[in-house]
Amino acid sequence: MAKLWSKISAVLPHNEEQFPLQFSEKVEPSVVEMLKRSRLQLYSDSTSASQMLNAQIILDFSWEKLNMGTWRHVDKEWRRVYSYGCLFKVGALCREDPSADEVLQAVRTCDMGLLMGAAIMDNILQVIVRILQDEVRKSTKEEEENDHAEAKRIKMESPRVPVIKEELAVPRIKCPSLESFNTNYLLPLKPVILEGIIEHWPALNQHPWSIEYLRSVAGCRTVPVEVGSRYTDEEWSQTLLTVNEFIDRYILNKDGGKGVGYLAQHQLFDQIPELKEDIRPPDYCCLGEGDEDDITVNAWFGPGGTVSPLHQDPQQNFLAQVVGSKYIRLYSPEETDKLYPHQSQLLHNTSQVEVENPDTERFPEFAKAPHLECVLQPGDVLFIPVRHWHYVRSLELSFSVSFWWS
Amino acid sequence: MRWFGFGFNAFGQIYVHEKLIKGVCSDAVNEVKVSSPTELASQVDRSDCRLTTDYQIRASWSRRASLHLDGDSCACLAGFVSNESCGRPMKESRGCKDAIITESYMTLAFSDRLESWDLQKQEKTPSWSMEIKPHPESSGPPVNLPLVHGGYIATKPPLYRSLSPHLRAKSLALSAEHVILLTASGAVYTWGLGSHGQLGHGGLSSEEEPRAVEALWGMPMSCIASGGWHSVCISDGGDLYVWGWNKSGQLGLPSQGLRKTLQQQSSQQAGAPCQDASTYPTEEPKEEEKHEEVFISIQAFPALLDITPSCEIRTVSCGCRHTAAVTTTGDLYTWGWGDYGQLGHQTFISSDEPQRVEFFREQQMRVVDVVCGAWNTFAAAVKEEVA
Repeated sequence: MAKLWSKISAVLPHNEEQFPLQFSEKVEPSVVEMLKRSRLQLYSDSTSASQMLNAQIILDFSWEKLNMGTWRHVDKEWRRVYSYGCLFKVGALCREDPSADEVLQAVRTCDMGLLMGAAIMDNILQVIVRILQDEVRKSTKEEEENDHAEAKRIKMESPRVPVIKEELAVPRIKCPSLESFNTNYLLPLKPVILEGIIEHWPALNQHPWSIEYLRSVAGCRTVPVEVGSRYTDEEWSQTLLTVNEFIDRYILNKDGGKGVGYLAQHQLFDQIPELKEDIRPPDYCCLGEGDEDDITVNAWFGPGGTVSPLHQDPQQNFLAQVVGSKYIRLYSPEETDKLYPHQSQLLHNTSQVEVENPDTERFPEFAKAPHLECVLQPGDVLFIPVRHWHYVRSLELSFSVSFWWS
Repeated sequence: MRWFGFGFNAFGQIYVHEKLIKGVCSDAVNEVKVSSPTELASQVDRSDCRLTTDYQIRASWSRRASLHLDGDSCACLAGFVSNESCGRPMKESRGCKDAIITESYMTLAFSDRLESWDLQKQEKTPSWSMEIKPHPESSGPPVNLPLVHGGYIATKPPLYRSLSPHLRAKSLALSAEHVILLTASGAVYTWGLGSHGQLGHGGLSSEEEPRAVEALWGMPMSCIASGGWHSVCISDGGDLYVWGWNKSGQLGLPSQGLRKTLQQQSSQQAGAPCQDASTYPTEEPKEEEKHEEVFISIQAFPALLDITPSCEIRTVSCGCRHTAAVTTTGDLYTWGWGDYGQLGHQTFISSDEPQRVEFFREQQMRVVDVVCGAWNTFAAAVKEEVA
């Protein structure tokens, strides 16, 4: 394990002078003083306990700043300070012959920085978490045998697929040209399922995504999980779990757990670049005005039964189905009046109607709104035009990737 | 009267340890975190300013100001300072009648003017100042900071914010993002960020303008205080009302967030290796526990907080995530976040119920005042008179 620290220090600046601590005036000198103390400790022989103490002070202070006001308004400087706190904490955890548990804590600390912080020092937390993950992988190789059995058991469930009425079915088309997609679907904003456009994704062939594959690539990584059947429920909450914990608890239901957990709308591919290698943004995105960097890629991973209530998004969307199947309903934005959006600012993009069990007394107009529907299968990509209302329910273990673009 | 401090001491704002004097940063946990009430050293005076033993405390995250109001009044700073004035009276403060301190500014009230000094930069003139008419009769403080004539002093620029005279403000408490105002008739108004229920109007929305806390209507209040995301006030009868975020137990109500954290800490301390997800502490409590206790994460309306044994509250102060209250009988109770020892229970454990700080009883002392910094607490006590 002493080797671990030498690998980590190799990616750190060689000495204190080369270690940057530049902040705007927003960050008070007292806080900068704490950061400098931690930096000094990183390059001197202080105990890991006192390094941990200073790192924790930085984390506690910036955590308070991150929780002041709305997330959007949090100054990026405080997210940077938070990342520095994570970096120093990783240093404290790893420098003195860390135990397996300490290495896992260090991975978690990096993830907290990647999730809540802002990139510092050429995204050093991303670099360090890779080193740490290699270390974790070495020690978990032997456990992989067991996972094979799990994965097979999961695949055996067969979902009850709703019957799609032909006249309501979203049209399907195989690999259209850019030109024909543009003319027939993008410009008139018509939903369509594109077939055969992601067959080349490694996620569907070289290393098909499966429980065991996700465990091996991302098992020890911490991700945000939505708990509760839908985000409009009172009981709904968000929590942070490792991918392994999420799989055990909400996919394999190991502790006989109730409740639905959904790794939803998370930019997993920025957090774990290794998974990004397995997917490709659809070429059709180039028809938009934005660059490839402007595409927001989200992961949606969960068991059967997850529901995204009927809602609309402000961008064009390609929803690519990689594992399992999903039932999806679509309503044109022209029908908005019949869909009863929530009144509150926070949820005004979400309908109050439970799509598959509508309250016809409260929402009498809903039944009159025409819709399209489909069951999205692995390899399918659904084009959801901007502001089109969509309702999504997973029919079985499912992994989808969405691309928001303009 | 003697002042004691406990909690966060990374900058020596409670006591200055040897290493800090030598300019070496502290290594030892017990120097950075003071878990037992520690008497503040009497100010060493090398100037011609005569310091009195009766003084007030103001605290921010990294600093503490001792405010001497008798005789030659002045303020002395302790804690993080970029110059060498540590422990000595700030020369700009000579003759001040009141002061408040934030991470960035020190605002001083004189009989004829107000001044805000930037603590980050060594400037020759105050960042903001305002002339005020000296009050002819009273010799007491001209204003009740952060309340000033026609407005109040905010924590960040623009420092001066005006207030409607109709509010007839008597005192005002500020956190980074929300404001509580107490009127002459004992009504409470709040405004600012409402994301964690800290405004007490029942919702989570923010308010641009002062809005009366209707739930307290008809119940005159005598004292208000605000923490990072919570608010408290004391009624004329000595009852304590709390609202806002309870993540660390700062409301003194059952906090699930706190229980989870304690669970994780204890399993880490026990050195339980967590190789396997199934041995991780479970995030949710067992089904039976759930029914026993109703956890409060956000309290969006004022709630009456019972302290047992029942007592009347005389004064209260809030840190970022903790609360400290003094009873009319001279006991100090603290609750909320305790990681830095700010609860004074000689531990670093948070608590979601008010607990008496036994130190003062053991010393046969009666607590008469309390002032919280962000992560620490300062209490004034006098020796119990033997009957």
